[in-house]
Amino acid sequence: MNRLPSFKRKSFRIQGARNEALDVARGRVVLVSACFALAYILVVARVFDLSVIRGRLYNTGEPTEIVEMTAQEQAYRGDILDRNGVILATSLETASLYADPKLIIEPTETAKALARIFPDLAYGDILKSLQKGGRFVWLKRNLTPAEQYDVLQIGDPGLGFKTGRRRIYPNGDLAAHFVGYTDVDGRGLAGVERSFNTYLAAGEQPLVMTLDVRMQHILRREIVKAVENFTAKGGAGVIMDVTNGEVLAAVSYPDFDPHNLDVKNDAAMFNRLSLGTYEMGSTFKIFSTAAVLELAGAEMSDKYDAREPLQAGRFKINDYHAEKRVLTLPEVFMYSSNIGSALMGQKVGTEALKAFYKDLGLMDKIKLEIDEVGRPILPAVWRDVNTLTASYGHGIAVTPLQMVAAAASVVGDGTLVKPTLIKNNDELLTQKGHTDEPVIRIVSPQTAHRMRQLMRLVVTDGTGGNADVKGYRVGGKTGTAEKNINGRYDRKKLISSFLGFFPMEAPRYAVFVMVDEPKGNKKSYGYATAGWVAAPAVGKVVESMAPMVGIEPVMAAPEEDLSASLKRYVKTEEEIKAEKAVQNASY
Amino acid sequence: MRGIEIQSDIKLGQKILYINWGLVALITIIACIGFSCLYSAAGGSLSPWATPQIVRFMMGMCGMLVVALIDIRFWYKMAYPCFALGMVLLVVVEAMGHVGMGAQRWINLGFMKLQPSEVMKIAVVMALARYFHAVSVDDVRRITFLIPAALIVLAPVGLVLLQPDLGTSLMIIMAGLSVFFVAGAPLWMFISGIVGTVASVPVAWHFLHDYQKKRVMTFLDPESDPLGAGYHITQSKIALGSGGMEGKGFLEGTQSRLNFLPEKQTDFIFTLFAEEWGFVGGVVLLALFALVFIYCGVIALRCRHDFGRLLALGLMVNFSLYVFINIAMVMGLIPVVGAPLPLISYGGTAMLSVMLGFGLIMSCSIYKDSKIPRL
Repeated sequence: MNRLPSFKRKSFRIQGARNEALDVARGRVVLVSACFALAYILVVARVFDLSVIRGRLYNTGEPTEIVEMTAQEQAYRGDILDRNGVILATSLETASLYADPKLIIEPTETAKALARIFPDLAYGDILKSLQKGGRFVWLKRNLTPAEQYDVLQIGDPGLGFKTGRRRIYPNGDLAAHFVGYTDVDGRGLAGVERSFNTYLAAGEQPLVMTLDVRMQHILRREIVKAVENFTAKGGAGVIMDVTNGEVLAAVSYPDFDPHNLDVKNDAAMFNRLSLGTYEMGSTFKIFSTAAVLELAGAEMSDKYDAREPLQAGRFKINDYHAEKRVLTLPEVFMYSSNIGSALMGQKVGTEALKAFYKDLGLMDKIKLEIDEVGRPILPAVWRDVNTLTASYGHGIAVTPLQMVAAAASVVGDGTLVKPTLIKNNDELLTQKGHTDEPVIRIVSPQTAHRMRQLMRLVVTDGTGGNADVKGYRVGGKTGTAEKNINGRYDRKKLISSFLGFFPMEAPRYAVFVMVDEPKGNKKSYGYATAGWVAAPAVGKVVESMAPMVGIEPVMAAPEEDLSASLKRYVKTEEEIKAEKAVQNASY
Repeated sequence: MRGIEIQSDIKLGQKILYINWGLVALITIIACIGFSCLYSAAGGSLSPWATPQIVRFMMGMCGMLVVALIDIRFWYKMAYPCFALGMVLLVVVEAMGHVGMGAQRWINLGFMKLQPSEVMKIAVVMALARYFHAVSVDDVRRITFLIPAALIVLAPVGLVLLQPDLGTSLMIIMAGLSVFFVAGAPLWMFISGIVGTVASVPVAWHFLHDYQKKRVMTFLDPESDPLGAGYHITQSKIALGSGGMEGKGFLEGTQSRLNFLPEKQTDFIFTLFAEEWGFVGGVVLLALFALVFIYCGVIALRCRHDFGRLLALGLMVNFSLYVFINIAMVMGLIPVVGAPLPLISYGGTAMLSVMLGFGLIMSCSIYKDSKIPRL
């Protein structure tokens, strides 16, 4: 390649090699700069392409949708109903009043009459509008039928109505994140309003959600209470039918009023339940324990040494409720021992545990009928240490909703539970990718039964005691996770959650409550952990909803309880004391 | 040969006059645009991003001016020690670094997290510039002479790959290659290098992590998974598109505001800016960056010693690569690699290393006529 004319080269040879080097360098600097100039031109062209040429399309959605929307502007947008037919969203035809100043006969009289009908409009302003030039002026939007009747009684030919539709959410903020909202033109922008926009815009049939307004109210009430009592940043929760994955109540708090949006308020607009991903902490022990029982042939009598913190690479795994002794499998679960759970994960093995989590749907984004679904955050490289931490719910972040569904899969009948927000409407479900998939078995019925026993034990004897409701046999698991702020775990910033199931011998409902950064109060003796924050909230939800869903209380003796057979693996306080005494004596 | 001896002892006052104040002004303007973006990303609030960024910029500015005023010969002497320090830090991070999301990339200094790979980007260029300083054309064409220089690039690249951070290692290679190129390494090497790389793509594919493969696949067809891995790019394109010609106005970008846009304060900040300021804003920002490069290019051309020329050019390439890769990435021209937009994206080490890099370039400019003996 000859970069320079030959005569120039010759002249340089005369001056010496140094100058040639300099010249080569300068030539190449220019060449490099030219490459960058080219790259920049490419980038500018692309910015133009995206923002100006294609921008017009993106501005109003897909091009096909634009055509569709203008054609259907006047069409009725379908209702959204809860499972019992209660209206969650509807479109009301409302009249808006305008005037054609040219046709107004008696401006002063008409203005006086209008001022009487609409106390919030001033006489002077109305008169000014009526005496304006031009042929059209808005006077008042969205009249009630009574107001419209009164206006008609004035009988001025210069007054006219334009009818439009307004989206109304009779339950306001109750399920705002999941029902969603529309813009002024009636296009769905969030929740099912967005994901079923085409269906709703067609207006032929209502969309029936699996939500139950009553359950929704109970759950929201308890979450709001917990958030306020513990001055937390927010909360989330779900009530799910374990047998079919139907979501009866879904709450993300703080929430918003769909009639009166403040889109800049990120905290309120954000869907914590299905879009937010969190390291859930000890509730994940449900999965590592199920894995060790199902895949590694573990028995209830198995022992795990929780005397010393577990050293994993540069980390130490510690126990929050440290027992500092050798624990049986049920004890690990009920005292929520991180060390014990990590040892279980180790026993299962990295590949097997990853495969198990994958089967449970914890490693992928789940399918749900709304677009606000978060993708789990997994370690980029899954090393053995990740297996240990993932066994107690750290180093892996999932959406609360997918965790509840996964847990339901191991305590229900042992088959995969897929959460759904839309009540059976086959055509719609296939459209959204929910085809009739075969039943996927996750764990054996025996393992599922053992998990039920263990979760009952947590409530009768372990960390979840505050969730117990007399007669309704609640079982569950607490989870107190430290939040990871910029790569560092903060002991003061917690995610406290409780995942409960009832009735425990044949679980029908999952109730989950999560509180984001609770601060301890007097009643909780300063504790902000799950057992004090989330477990009581779940208990209250169960107490309120159980009679409504027709679950009968059973008052059984303690020895008939589901967890009774596990008691022999759990040391009593006297036994522990005696054991410690023996140990001390032998030293 | 004029001006060599005169330059050896210029007074401080003169040096300050020699600082490229135009370049300083350009950098400040770009950084201010960055602050406004971070202010907007936080929904119209100085916390949590804008304030720390402003503080870091101030620190970076002081650092830049100090570096600029120090004699280029000092930096020439420090080239290998800096490189050695960078290598040590890289080894340390491998040994005891903070583990973040599976990739170990930083050392916690208490007041900030130091990413040795950022330091290394500058150190590699310095070391190469020194190695190629005042060598003859014939030397540069000898393979045996080029091998140590190749090691200067490949040793840190190997360590960065271990972290694992593919994007940064590629960046170091590119900056290193540019120094090779300007130093006058034979063209056939570059051509055969490109051919070799293309040929080895199938083999390299085999060694990529799953998440890296996914990024490439998503790049080739982002629409295939618009709610999954293609989400970033699809949302970013929608945001750019919704900005249109003039943009939506400051603090009015709905795509970013409603959290549809991920990483809006770091890697995707250009999208946020272009949504609010439109095509016009985007072009203005690009023009400002282009002016900075032209400045650096002119400094490289006017530098009378090889060390300064190579250093200024290598750093310029590094910086422009970042700008190009970041912007091309958010527009879906290249796969998503974690590359921040210099001076604009939120991040401490990146800001400091960019500013110190400019300090070195300015030092090249102030001492452009100095004579550096080959040691």
